[in-house]
Amino acid sequence: MKGKSFFSFDIPIFLSSLMLMVFGLLFIYSSGITSTGQNVSHEYIMQSIWIVTGLVLFFLVMFTDYLMLRRWTYYFYFFTIILLLITLAVGRKVNGARSWLGFFGFGIQPSEFAKISTMMILADYFDKHRKNILEFRTFLIGILLTLLPFLLILAQPDMGTALVFLPIFFLVAYVAGIKRRYLFFLLISGVLMVFLGVFPSWVKYFVKSDIGIARIFVSMDIIKILFFSIAAILIISLVGYLSTKKRYFYWFSYIVSSILTGLAGSIGVRIVLKEYQIMRLIVFLNPYIDPKGTGWNIIQSITAVGSGGLFGKGFLKGTQSHYRFLPQQSTDFIFSILAEEWGFIGSFLVLLGFGVIIVRGFILLLHSKENYGILLGTGILTMIFFHVVVNIGMAIGIMPITGIPLFFLSYGGSSLWTVMISLGIIENIYIKRFSY
Amino acid sequence: MKVDQYNKMENSNTKHRIIIIIVSVIGIFIFFVLYLFNLQVLNKLKYQDRARNISVRALPIPAQRGEIFDRNTDKPLVINIDSFAVNITPGELDDRTLNQTIKRLAKLFSIPVSDIKKKITSSYRHLFQPLEVKSGVDLHKVGYIAEHKEDFPGVTWNSKPIRNYLYKDSLTHILGYVGDITVEEYQVLYNKGYSLNSQIGKSGIEKEYDVLLRGKDGEQFKTVDVKGRKIANRKMDDIPPQNGKTLVLTIDRHIQRLAEEALGARMGSVVVLKPASGEILAMVSYPWFDPNIFYTQKAKEYYREKALDPKHPFLNRAIQSAYAPASTFKIIMTTADLEERAFPIDKTITCNGSIRVGNRTFDCWKKEGHGPLDLPEALAQSCDVYFYTLGLDYLGINVISDFARKFGYGSLTKIDLPGEIKGLVPTPAWKEKMFNTKWVGGDTVNTSIGQGYLNVTPLQMADMLAMTVNKGIIYKPHILKEIRDPVTGKVLKKIKPEILKTSSITEQNFSTIQKYLRGVITDGTAKVVITTKAVNIAGKTGTGEVGLKDRWNAWFVANGPYGADPKDQVVVVTMVEATNKWEWWAVRAANIIFQGIFAGETYDEAIDSLHWGWLRNKKEVE
Repeated sequence: MKGKSFFSFDIPIFLSSLMLMVFGLLFIYSSGITSTGQNVSHEYIMQSIWIVTGLVLFFLVMFTDYLMLRRWTYYFYFFTIILLLITLAVGRKVNGARSWLGFFGFGIQPSEFAKISTMMILADYFDKHRKNILEFRTFLIGILLTLLPFLLILAQPDMGTALVFLPIFFLVAYVAGIKRRYLFFLLISGVLMVFLGVFPSWVKYFVKSDIGIARIFVSMDIIKILFFSIAAILIISLVGYLSTKKRYFYWFSYIVSSILTGLAGSIGVRIVLKEYQIMRLIVFLNPYIDPKGTGWNIIQSITAVGSGGLFGKGFLKGTQSHYRFLPQQSTDFIFSILAEEWGFIGSFLVLLGFGVIIVRGFILLLHSKENYGILLGTGILTMIFFHVVVNIGMAIGIMPITGIPLFFLSYGGSSLWTVMISLGIIENIYIKRFSY
Repeated sequence: MKVDQYNKMENSNTKHRIIIIIVSVIGIFIFFVLYLFNLQVLNKLKYQDRARNISVRALPIPAQRGEIFDRNTDKPLVINIDSFAVNITPGELDDRTLNQTIKRLAKLFSIPVSDIKKKITSSYRHLFQPLEVKSGVDLHKVGYIAEHKEDFPGVTWNSKPIRNYLYKDSLTHILGYVGDITVEEYQVLYNKGYSLNSQIGKSGIEKEYDVLLRGKDGEQFKTVDVKGRKIANRKMDDIPPQNGKTLVLTIDRHIQRLAEEALGARMGSVVVLKPASGEILAMVSYPWFDPNIFYTQKAKEYYREKALDPKHPFLNRAIQSAYAPASTFKIIMTTADLEERAFPIDKTITCNGSIRVGNRTFDCWKKEGHGPLDLPEALAQSCDVYFYTLGLDYLGINVISDFARKFGYGSLTKIDLPGEIKGLVPTPAWKEKMFNTKWVGGDTVNTSIGQGYLNVTPLQMADMLAMTVNKGIIYKPHILKEIRDPVTGKVLKKIKPEILKTSSITEQNFSTIQKYLRGVITDGTAKVVITTKAVNIAGKTGTGEVGLKDRWNAWFVANGPYGADPKDQVVVVTMVEATNKWEWWAVRAANIIFQGIFAGETYDEAIDSLHWGWLRNKKEVE
């Protein structure tokens, strides 16, 4: 029985991740080469160590019953929250964010581990409350559990990593069966909040001409008036609903209150974020607005990717990277080097690798009958998927620069360990599909 | 049983939702593949071209900043000296190497390490662009860096000539100085051809005509890696720099020096103006500063010291300080009376030394009184009581402020220097808005003798007299005379006189007022002091209260030669802040200036001609 379960783990996922890690190693090596052919970085050696230890972790987790780990969920969650608090207080500052914690000369990023513990607690909570999954209370507590680490990481401030928690919550809650109208409410408010929050800066830097009636979303005074008038409409429609119990009053209040929440959030965004921070988020819409500042990275990266062509310039032959025009080549922009040197073929292989892992991962979940495992797996795959979309999107200029790594490829132990543990869990869920 | 069924149903719902997710994920992956195909395969050429352009580095070849001459055009006032700026590209270096390099540079320049560290802020730490860490480096030190390039990784340099002001002293306010562009200035001038390493005029002509002076940097193309290491040169594409234009000023440096020495070490200012064109021949404001120090090690310290100096050496008092015009205002009062025929000019008013308005007593400067005076006598003797009565009983505040405005008071002279202020012409409406109290008779009385709220700049004062000389026209005062090509010396543009203000006051009345002002010199208050034989002048003294005991602002405004064609005349305004009332320095300085201009003499020669040789030992007064 034991032998059978050993060989029954999913090979495509394993091979894909192996391929991606090898790619990563090659291009971390490439990123350390300068135009004169010297190697100035030993990151590739460190990365091989991370890969080996990551594989060990992968197998360890794969053969550990994930339900046994489940018992530790609350301790694990509590522990990572504490770690996040400590990081906030005494963490090491790297690139302006206090996100590192040093241990005997090694640095770890507690936010990476917080992702896993948050998925675990969400899966656990939603599974335990599957009978009253439709209740608003369940939804609300789910949000609060996500919001705690989210806010702690946002305070570091590491917005990129914090953002990962939102899609995790969404998809886990969705699969768990939370009422869709609650999720839609959040979605509408969130989109409005982001849109209205960045709209004034967008107008200021990108439009520059008269925007007509849309001006009402720029002036803070008018927005306040707007806010109170919408609040008044909400009260009226609520009164209407409570007195007549008509459905259309309910839906009207639903829409109005989601707009109101979004509007309130956008006021918050504009108060909390400085204009240059917003600018950094939206400069990808047109990096040439600020080609020497924020736009620099984006322009360099798109140029690197675009100049790769179908087959690329050849391994170690990229000019953008070896003349060191690309920033953070071994971490955030590793995809750009790969795309420059291996061209479309290389980028396609990377996307294929991730596609196999994520799609295949979800298919594996379909085989499981155990609800907790399905939810946990959903969280894990969502996390990997979101990283891929944001990191590669950033490299090709369709996503804002948030500085989150590309799993398997980016240099760094924390992210590699996180993804290997995660995949181990996925495999374990699959192996145990007949047991539960 | 029921629970089991529920579970089954739930399970199939869950599967359903996961399938929806799988489909969406596949959709997004397909989008990414298509997007990358478009980017890498279909648009490949565009980006390959761009990649090549990025590694082709355009290095600026700095343009020479234009030189500045005075109207004699024989000797430059400002030239450029060869010098270099040294830069670090911080993104190329790891922390250890960066620190080491900074230490070596600091030692080479003998400046503290922190000075360099300050320039590399944390937001610039990973920038792949050269940041200037030191300017004004001489060839010798740059040569050392070039010879030891491996000890200075990430260090580059470029030529950055510094300005040298050959005539500094009182011309500093006019010439101004240049300095590194600040972040704020850069934001305002974004897209106007400036870069973060640009030099920019900070004040005076350097600021006003920065666009003309700076020229246009050329570009030199090299294929480089990000470290700026040259891989290939592409000479044929080089764009040569266009050097800045040579500016010729209306200033006559001999008259400037004369005016400067005549004023001496007294806080105040002098304006010498050609009324028929608006050309400024000299403009002095004391105290001044030394702009050359801004290009040395001590720049910061010096700037702080001067900025905190209670004498405000950065202030160009001729255009940035406004004072009560005091008795000089009687020129406008007299013109108003002539034009409005409010009070007959040959009728007298008796001065008993003071006048009562409401419950306040207003004194004449002559306590014992002037006795009966008609208008020309009152102007010559500068009798306060006469003008109190004229203002209060016959003209009224509205006519007075109206005439003050006709002479350009309360509005900008539009001189081509930055930072001019416009002074103030008070009206009842203004006072009510400002202080929320009513305009009273006492206010009119004060205004009538140029005191109270009224204040004007020395340049406005010169314009006022210019109007009487030109018989109704003020030409816009200006400093720039010609723009010349820096290489050929060809005159590219001559600044033509431009009318700033015209007045409907009759020529007859202007002639009359000039006649009266001549009377001030021949029989009036300035009789004793104006001793020059070189020229006949017309003018008016003024002594303004500033609220300090025994301290008065002293004015003298005059033109000469009296009665000549305006083209041959000059207007001189001297203004000495709060000096002793009877020292009469303003008049005395003007006397020397007129003597010097019309006899073609220097200060020393002029005081000899005036038999004021004793002044030579008294140059440094107060």
